[in-house]
Amino acid sequence: MDDSRPIFLQIAEQLESQIIDGSMREEAQVPSINDLAAFHRINPATALKGVSLLVDQGIIYKRRGVGMFVADGARERLVASRRETFGDEYIRPLVARARALGMSPEQLIEIIRREAAQ
Amino acid sequence: MTALATAPIHRIATTARIHAANPWTILYTPWLILFGVFALNFAIWHAVLIGAGDRPLAPDAFTTNGGVTYIFVYMVVVAVQAMNQTFSFVVGLGATRRDYFGGTVLVFGALSVVFGVGISLLAWVERATDGWGVRGAFFAPGPLRTEPIWVLAVMYTLLLLLMFFVGSAVAATFVRWGANGIIIFFGALALLIVGVVYAITVNGGWEAVGRFFTTHSMLGLAAYTIPVTLVGGLAGFLLMSRATPKG
Amino acid sequence: MTAVIEVTDLARTYGKVAAVADVSFSIEENSICGLLGRNGAGKTTLMRLVTGQEFASAGEIRVFGEDPVENAGVLARTCFVRESQVYPDGFRGKHVLKAAAQLFPNWDADYAARLVAEFRVPLDRRMKKMSRGQRSSVGVIIGLASRADLTLLDEPYAGLDAVARELFYDHLLKDYSENPRTIVLSTHLIDEAARLLEHVLVVDNGSLLMDAAADDLRGTAVTLVGGHNAVERFASGRPVLGWESIGGISSVTLTGLSDADKADAAAAGLELAPVSLQQLIVSRTRSAQEARS
Repeated sequence: MDDSRPIFLQIAEQLESQIIDGSMREEAQVPSINDLAAFHRINPATALKGVSLLVDQGIIYKRRGVGMFVADGARERLVASRRETFGDEYIRPLVARARALGMSPEQLIEIIRREAAQ
Repeated sequence: MTALATAPIHRIATTARIHAANPWTILYTPWLILFGVFALNFAIWHAVLIGAGDRPLAPDAFTTNGGVTYIFVYMVVVAVQAMNQTFSFVVGLGATRRDYFGGTVLVFGALSVVFGVGISLLAWVERATDGWGVRGAFFAPGPLRTEPIWVLAVMYTLLLLLMFFVGSAVAATFVRWGANGIIIFFGALALLIVGVVYAITVNGGWEAVGRFFTTHSMLGLAAYTIPVTLVGGLAGFLLMSRATPKG
Repeated sequence: MTAVIEVTDLARTYGKVAAVADVSFSIEENSICGLLGRNGAGKTTLMRLVTGQEFASAGEIRVFGEDPVENAGVLARTCFVRESQVYPDGFRGKHVLKAAAQLFPNWDADYAARLVAEFRVPLDRRMKKMSRGQRSSVGVIIGLASRADLTLLDEPYAGLDAVARELFYDHLLKDYSENPRTIVLSTHLIDEAARLLEHVLVVDNGSLLMDAAADDLRGTAVTLVGGHNAVERFASGRPVLGWESIGGISSVTLTGLSDADKADAAAAGLELAPVSLQQLIVSRTRSAQEARS
């Protein structure tokens, strides 16, 4: 939990990451609002906001009286949307830093290739 | 959820019970100290008897003492605490001033009866034992020795009520206006007394005043305190209605 | 959503001094609202006004839709706990809890007993003889166990150590989850309480300085750190909340930066640091104070 963004966004992002890395599979049950709030030590209304965000995007759905579950195809959709923002989020700052150090694009690509090969 | 928003009598009983939550201040301690003062007097009587040896003592040697007045002073202190700390506590926790006043009146009334009747019963025992065997009079001293027990009970109860309500009015004045308020109050009272004394003197009315006291019985005089008590109660209520709890 | 508290043009003056002036706000049902501000800003006065314990000089207050003054129906659903609470001489902890049990219709005695054990309150000790932390614990227990529809906690953890404070936050959140109600929490430990708060009211010198949802405030400000010239260039023309310099390095706190602006700042070589709710409120309060003098 950091101060740079609203907490409910961070909650949503954490749940998304768990879906993407597979720790929460599709059709798996998502922790209840009260459990999330207690775990992160936040207000339940905030937890609800974060979860509602994902419900609105169709990532999570509610089964009345039972709980909340990860929707089918959620992982695919999340991976796709994250790939779209990957360039802005990670590549642009990386390129800027490399440029600040005077590295050429070729040098940068070489480092990336070596790193990815491991 | 609406349980407390019930009949006023229930809410008043609740605030009354809060006063009694700690029975020491309002009940046990005053009785204890009263008995302590009595025991002291008793010890002094016996010391005098021993010291006198065979010499006879006047029949009313042990009948004039003011020990029992202690209880009246104590009740003023209880009233002051009720207007001050207990008020801030109970209203601070969310009771209305009216409910608190009602509960306090209930408690003051009950205490006055308990102590008034209690002391007069002790006076009955006192007489039955011929002054605790030494012809002493503590619970009904001086001129009260000859009054019937029921008169004592009513008198003491009325006097205690007077102490409570006038005491709480004075305390409420302090809570509302602080030390300045008290100074002004007593200053005004002093002026009033001086004025009345002057008026009586100028009009040669001291005889009439004397006759008033001698022609009225103890009970009658005690009854005259009722209007003062009521005024005190009303003043206390009005002052409390605009007072804010401390803290 | 219904408003539990509605305050309009509220003022409270003592002679020439205005403890509260021209304050208007509303607090929603079943939420945790933070009432923040410096000591003496008027937070306690506001809470006293809302509970009918203090009389307004002007303006209107509506609690559960009614005037709270001398209103038994409204006050029965309200619990106001503060450090400065007066206790009668001779009252011990157990007497105070007994009184609370009688005054609050939703009082949960079992819950209170569990809290007494957890906070380690010596119930047999006189209130006067208790430490500051123990007295605060009694207040906290009353505030939680009363389960009142509207609970106001005025700096409830004065004297509580960090462990006890965490205990308080945890209990507050847990009980609030299970028994939703409206909670108004005044505190100067903003960062500690920040994650609990849904709404924030900042009071300064008797007036309302900020009235916003906590989430709306988070992320609105950012601190840029870097070489003095770069920082100055970037900050020109933008609303500045705070500025510090040491040597050739400057740090400026700005509001109103878009994501694009932040990216530009990073590209310009400036370091971006988040601004906590506490820093944001402190900066705003300081600016307001400077503007006054």
